[in-house]
Amino acid sequence: MRVDPFFVVNLSAPLDQTQTTQQQLTDELSSGLRVTSIGQDPVAAAENVQLLNQIQRDDSFTQTTSLTQGLLQVTDSALGSVVTQLNQAVGLATEANNGTLNASDLKSISNQIAGIRDEVLSLANTSYQGQFVFGGSQTGSTPFTLDNTTTPATVTYNGDADVNTLMSPNGQSIQLNVPGNQIFTSSTADVLGTLNNLIADYATGTAGGGVADTASLTSALNFVSQQRVGIDNSINRLNTASGVAKSESIQLTAVQTSLMQADIPAVSTQLALAQSQQSALISVISALGSGSLFDKL
Amino acid sequence: MGTINSALSLITGALDADQNALNVVSNNVANASNTAYTREVPNWTENQPISINGMAYGTGVTVTGGVSQRDRVLEQRLQQQTQASASSTALLTALTTLQSSFTPASGTSTSGDIGTDITNFFNSHTQLESDPTSNPLRQQILSSANTLAGDISSRAASLAAQQSSLDQSANTVIAQVNAISASLAQVNVAIQSQSPNQDAGPLEDQRQADLTQLAQLIGVNQIATEQNGLSVTTTGGQLLVSEGQLFQITTGAVNGVTHFFVGGTDVTSALASGGGQIGGLLTARDQSIPATLASLDQLAYGIATQVNTVNNAGTDLVGDNGNAGNIFNAPTQVAGSAQSMQVVLTDPNKIAAAGLGLGAGDGGNAVSAASLAAQAVINGQTPSNFYSNLVSTLGATVSETTIQGTALSASLSQLQSQRDSLSAVSLNEEAASLQEFQRSYQAASQVFTILNSVYASALNLGVETAVA
Repeated sequence: MRVDPFFVVNLSAPLDQTQTTQQQLTDELSSGLRVTSIGQDPVAAAENVQLLNQIQRDDSFTQTTSLTQGLLQVTDSALGSVVTQLNQAVGLATEANNGTLNASDLKSISNQIAGIRDEVLSLANTSYQGQFVFGGSQTGSTPFTLDNTTTPATVTYNGDADVNTLMSPNGQSIQLNVPGNQIFTSSTADVLGTLNNLIADYATGTAGGGVADTASLTSALNFVSQQRVGIDNSINRLNTASGVAKSESIQLTAVQTSLMQADIPAVSTQLALAQSQQSALISVISALGSGSLFDKL
Repeated sequence: MGTINSALSLITGALDADQNALNVVSNNVANASNTAYTREVPNWTENQPISINGMAYGTGVTVTGGVSQRDRVLEQRLQQQTQASASSTALLTALTTLQSSFTPASGTSTSGDIGTDITNFFNSHTQLESDPTSNPLRQQILSSANTLAGDISSRAASLAAQQSSLDQSANTVIAQVNAISASLAQVNVAIQSQSPNQDAGPLEDQRQADLTQLAQLIGVNQIATEQNGLSVTTTGGQLLVSEGQLFQITTGAVNGVTHFFVGGTDVTSALASGGGQIGGLLTARDQSIPATLASLDQLAYGIATQVNTVNNAGTDLVGDNGNAGNIFNAPTQVAGSAQSMQVVLTDPNKIAAAGLGLGAGDGGNAVSAASLAAQAVINGQTPSNFYSNLVSTLGATVSETTIQGTALSASLSQLQSQRDSLSAVSLNEEAASLQEFQRSYQAASQVFTILNSVYASALNLGVETAVA
């Protein structure tokens, strides 16, 4: 049975192969990545694309929420101040209605309520980072303007009824604003209108229709408190969504890392094996390749 | 006397024969490192015996030269496997270059990754929802759009560049094929005229060497014809060499890509599946790269048209209501849209974040744009999923070709080993033969010396001499 005379020469090819293997393993160790090209593990590479997509989406949303929190906080605190002011106004109106005050006292109360109305008006025109909060989508122009020429004074709403939303990564729609006409000049409870009426009532020095208007003011106050609940809900939902996004991002990052990272102990073992294989092959080649019958002739 | 003479000439013939045998062995040893050489074994033929008066007398031996130890069937199998292996190797090289355009991103290094670009682009719209009038956020949309368009178009450009370099390589290979076919035709003519009935020795070596070279380059089938002739066809059946006749492969451009013709027939697709280096090159050029490029085109076309539609369905900051303009240049057709993808919008205020007719504070249209990321807008898949599929399809092809290539080269080296154990020169065997023929020569010359002295004695018959 004849033997391939080029056998020892051909062993150089497997020797090259062990060297290539060593190089690949060393690359894996130095970069820490198990999958450096899509052909090495196509399934992992595809999954990697989708995991990174979700992680980046969650991270981006977390960033957005920190910007949005500010807007909602400002809205909420403005509404809180409005409630405080309205409570004061109700107190003053009740005092005016009990009939024990004289005309000049009533006029003074009218002026105080006018002050409260101005304060509420300026709260209704709150802006955050240059944008008016209660204008609906018309955030560039002042939502409420006061016309003092009429009796009672009239307030005009210049915004619209648009509600802006933010989408969370899992599809939740979070409301970011309440349109001003819904809170301050709504037909159910017209805060500014009622205040203007009260001012006009007491300005003459008599109670006038003050009792009826005080009742309207009380229901308007309750109405504002309800609207504030809507904003508080948005704040909570935003916090929750942000928390969910953060923890999902952390979990998915762990999954992505373990998918793509090299298993260092396993790679080190393989590298040691490859090295010992190489040195064994080298000694075999040098032992076998020495001499033929010609040396003995 | 007559018999001594004939004995002398017989032994002289033996000396010649041994010398010829030694020549054959020397030739083998000289060609020991020549991988294309097939070892020869001296051909000892007994000369015709002469019959005189009913008695047969032997007339010695002749060595008529070497007989090449080759197995034509084994060589053919080896060439077939060489074709398959060469094709696989060429394809793998091209695919490795192709896949380097789509290296997986890691959490820390994402620059240049199309998947990340897609995500970042749609995320920038989500960010705009919370603050639609913010100039920095709008700028971010434009810059992420530029990154996305830049990466997609540069990938498409490098794929196109790879295609044209494969085209050039294919041309070079076919030029080589034509040269080898010409030499093969010449060798065929020489073999058919010099040794039509037996193995042609060194000429056959040359023919087999030509065939092996040819198999590296192109997939061929061999057909043995009469008088030791050979015809070579491509795997697809086109005649390249018919004994002494040569049929060149010609080139021509079809749709900007080189096609190959034999006679008037376009053999390009047959060559692609036929094996050899050209098979791998053409498969990469005509199948692998166009498939990936088509996917990129679909991705670019889908994103560009959908995003443009959304931007033209809202209101921007400068009062455009439903006609804010395109963000990306509008592609007219799917093919080529990846390479030409670019951002045409320069004014961030013309990004239509608000819904139709609403004020600047509304982010409804930004919500629509951002939600494209979760809609099946690219061939029934979300953009991210589509890209993920592109990656896994290409990766699977590379992986499959790698495995196939490893298997083929393993079987190739086995066949090569088999062929070499039959046809390659074994120094040990040649050394042993050398000794054998040396001894045989020494014996023959010793016989000559003795015959010579017998002759001398015969000549000196009747003369008294001392015995020498």
